Amino acid sequence: MRSFLIFLVLWNTSTTSWSQRFVDHTEAAGIQHFFEVYEGMFGGGVAVLDFNNDGFEDLYLTGGMQEDQLLENQKDGTFKNVFHQAGLTSALGFVTQGVATADFNRDGWMDLFITTITTITTKGEKKSIPRAQNLIFINKKDGAFEEQSKSFGISKSESFSTGIAIGDINLDGYPDVYVGNYFTDYDGGLKEISDATIVNAGKTAKGYLYENKGGKKFEEVSKKYNLSHRGFSFGGIFTDFDNDHDMDLIINNDFGYKAKPNYLLQNQFPEKKFSYVEEARKMDLRINAMGGATADLNADSYLDYFITNIRFNRFMIQYPEENIFIDQAETLGTQLFTISWGANFTDFDQDGDLDLFVANGDLNPNCVPMYNFYFENENSTFQEHSGEVGLKDYGVGRGSVVFDLENDGDMDLLVVSQKPIRPYGPPSITRLYKNEMAKGNALQVKLRGNASTLSAFGSRIELYADSLYINHEIDGGNTSHLSHNSRIAHFGLGKRTTVDSLRVTWPGGESQFLYQIPVNQKITVVETNVFQDKKKTNYEILVAFLIIGIGVIVFFKVKKKSLPN
Amino acid sequence: MGLLGLLLVQCEPLPDNIPDHEVAAQWADMTLYITKNTPANSPTFASRCLGYLGLAQYEAVVHSDPKYQSLVDQLNDLNTLPKPDTNQQYNWLLVLNHSQSTLLKSIYLQTSDENKQKIDSLEQRLSKILIKNTTAASAQRSLAFGKKLAEHLLEWSKTDGGHRGYLENFDPDYEREPFPGSWKPPLFAQSFSHNPLHHFWGENRTFAPTNTLLELPEFIPYDPAKGSPYYQEFEAVYKKERTLSQEEKEAAIWWSDDPDVTFSPGGHLYFIATALVRKNKPDLITTTKTFASVGMSVADAFIKCWKWKYHFFSERPNTFIPEFINQKWESFWPDPPFPAFPSGHAIQAAAAAKALLGTFENKTSFIDSAHVGRERDHVRGVEFKARAYSTIWSIAEETASSRFYGGIHTPQDNSVGLEQGVLIANNILNLKWKK
Repeated sequence: MRSFLIFLVLWNTSTTSWSQRFVDHTEAAGIQHFFEVYEGMFGGGVAVLDFNNDGFEDLYLTGGMQEDQLLENQKDGTFKNVFHQAGLTSALGFVTQGVATADFNRDGWMDLFITTITTITTKGEKKSIPRAQNLIFINKKDGAFEEQSKSFGISKSESFSTGIAIGDINLDGYPDVYVGNYFTDYDGGLKEISDATIVNAGKTAKGYLYENKGGKKFEEVSKKYNLSHRGFSFGGIFTDFDNDHDMDLIINNDFGYKAKPNYLLQNQFPEKKFSYVEEARKMDLRINAMGGATADLNADSYLDYFITNIRFNRFMIQYPEENIFIDQAETLGTQLFTISWGANFTDFDQDGDLDLFVANGDLNPNCVPMYNFYFENENSTFQEHSGEVGLKDYGVGRGSVVFDLENDGDMDLLVVSQKPIRPYGPPSITRLYKNEMAKGNALQVKLRGNASTLSAFGSRIELYADSLYINHEIDGGNTSHLSHNSRIAHFGLGKRTTVDSLRVTWPGGESQFLYQIPVNQKITVVETNVFQDKKKTNYEILVAFLIIGIGVIVFFKVKKKSLPN
Repeated sequence: MGLLGLLLVQCEPLPDNIPDHEVAAQWADMTLYITKNTPANSPTFASRCLGYLGLAQYEAVVHSDPKYQSLVDQLNDLNTLPKPDTNQQYNWLLVLNHSQSTLLKSIYLQTSDENKQKIDSLEQRLSKILIKNTTAASAQRSLAFGKKLAEHLLEWSKTDGGHRGYLENFDPDYEREPFPGSWKPPLFAQSFSHNPLHHFWGENRTFAPTNTLLELPEFIPYDPAKGSPYYQEFEAVYKKERTLSQEEKEAAIWWSDDPDVTFSPGGHLYFIATALVRKNKPDLITTTKTFASVGMSVADAFIKCWKWKYHFFSERPNTFIPEFINQKWESFWPDPPFPAFPSGHAIQAAAAAKALLGTFENKTSFIDSAHVGRERDHVRGVEFKARAYSTIWSIAEETASSRFYGGIHTPQDNSVGLEQGVLIANNILNLKWKK
């Protein structure tokens, strides 16, 4: 039996040089978008998904007070907004915030989870307590979606929700969800509005941990899993920080220095429980944590985390021998004064190390222009080169994603920006940047989960090529800020022409190995472990028992009949 | 007695008697409990409530003492209040008890039902004790008079500009054209709102007419040049933050009085008034005059302070220092969401301390246990330990200095705050309390 399945897509080796950079491709791609806030600083995300399974990655952008957009990749570097045709119009009644994508019902097609903070009335009236349900759109496989928030059981909670993280917390193959909430929520809806309810509305919130029940329903299981935290939260990031092959959870909280700090929840799988370990691991950041990015920066096989903040971002490097994290932002050269939201690690120039993009923007209504950062990895420290590479945009940045726009093998970038509330000098629009700086070789790896979730959220890919070791975790969303990067793993290799080996470790710990892989191609690795639907299995067992039972009864009856009188 | 003590007392068997000052102090405790435990509170709104509740204490008992008189016709727009029937007997402590309960529940309309039940419980408990020494008719009369008094005070309060002010903490439509040295919403912030708190508060009605007329204080003009008087103000803050002693850190944290988790700066001074009352046991009229003068001084101090804050709309050290001295600098304590000059802490502490000097000698030693029992400040590594003082004025000075240690106020914010606070309290003390 083959130990792995593999599909190959080859692309031409890049002939670009250092003098080429990122090209602002927004207009050429036909993108016209900005996020409009409801009131205050909140919102603006984008998810990368191939919603029509045509092999090109599409984008879903939230718009806040503006219409959301579903941008279908036209395979020629342009996009077409098919939001209305795709049956997404029920999102128009809401002020949307974040978005993430998964195949929630395991039918092979990517679905959408969208957070909202309030409804939009036709009269433009604002609620005294802005809250609303979140939205699930299930892919109908025909280019359209159907809203199924009600049947999934999430429509009764009225919340002020932010980031969506997706991971299979119980390893049953169905993607589970953690939704961050900023202000306190109302389970079952907000029934009465009095002065007392209004003054209580500004309190910290709990998040929602949704266990996916057979792809048909979400059950809120915070209590069952021992979750008791609150916070002004921008949501969580599912990640296996302790390398024990289950999904742990980092919770990013705003105002950590006076309300609730960041949390680190260690999954106790197979027990259905998370334990709070942020203090022991020194991850109880008491900052304005807005978002983050995951990478094994120092290639020690343990993941590190870049957490965005107001003023100075944190670069939390993991020290596994001591079981702690230490902020190394200053040493690593990323400690620059700004206000950051999105962050994305990838090897933009394909020289064999991870670079870092950071989306910055003022709080809005504060409207001081501040530019985005491009940190080039130079011998394991970072140099800010946004000006040199054409990324010095002064828009009011929020969520950002990396993905491969044209299937040319390098990673492009999209940054959502808000419309400034107050007078603002530079333009502030969502921008798409085409990567024209990638010079080295690269390999893209797409995982196709089988026993795991279809997107294989939380799987690890470890790549070895010469002395190079890269350790990548498949993104479950809400890394960056309110956004969801491509799940296609990208490995920059510099001049290396062969990948010696690739180890894929699926959630749960089963590994598959590939050897001697040529570069400059996209491979798809399919999980060999097969999916076992517990419900189906139970049903089959039940049927089997019934058959046996009937058989036994029939046997005895027949036997009885056959006995002589 | 602390707030915990208050709750314990409610579970104890009823005594036959209760000292007069203790009835007033227990209502001050309850006022502080509600202030602390009602969300969306602010130093401005809290100070207003202290003004009305303190005044209500005094007006409830003023007719018990022939030497004293009501403040009707002496305070802005207060032209009438219910008068007792001079031919009938009243239990003035019951009047105080019922008027405090009624006013506290209605002025803190937004507090939880659970908190309103706590207020009712205290009213019932004190009523059961006090009724032992009074006739049923007198008790009934006192109840009716107390409630009527509270209702009048509430109606009067509705026209001062701050009624239900918690619904308008941060006006999203408020805009100010930026200018050099203007306030910028904080990055290291106490509040998630980026609009400043209660921009209209300076237009609210003061208690004392003379406080309405106070003149604008002087402000050192903006000049970012190194060595200028303006620059030196911020340089002093910057240098202090670099050399903070543990003692100074403790003061900075102790007096921070964040309205999200405490009874706010005004409440802290009202708390000290309860400590001094319990220690010195003044008679009832003096006790209630103390709460009235502290409450109204603090309330007027915040109104004047806000008027000047929004007149000058001046920047905080967290804006100036990163721009002109050191970009990586951050204050020890996060910025509150409103402009700097003058310091609200300084002005209200000076006003309250001066008001307290109307009752007590400056050389009065006491222990301030306002925050004892609070979880230590993890971010700054500071415990909440009781603090001892030997003079009343020292609390005003320490409150002002604490904001300098916290890195959120310059020396001039504090010195002007202290000066003006004294003037404001003098205008309260100079009302004709006695006939």
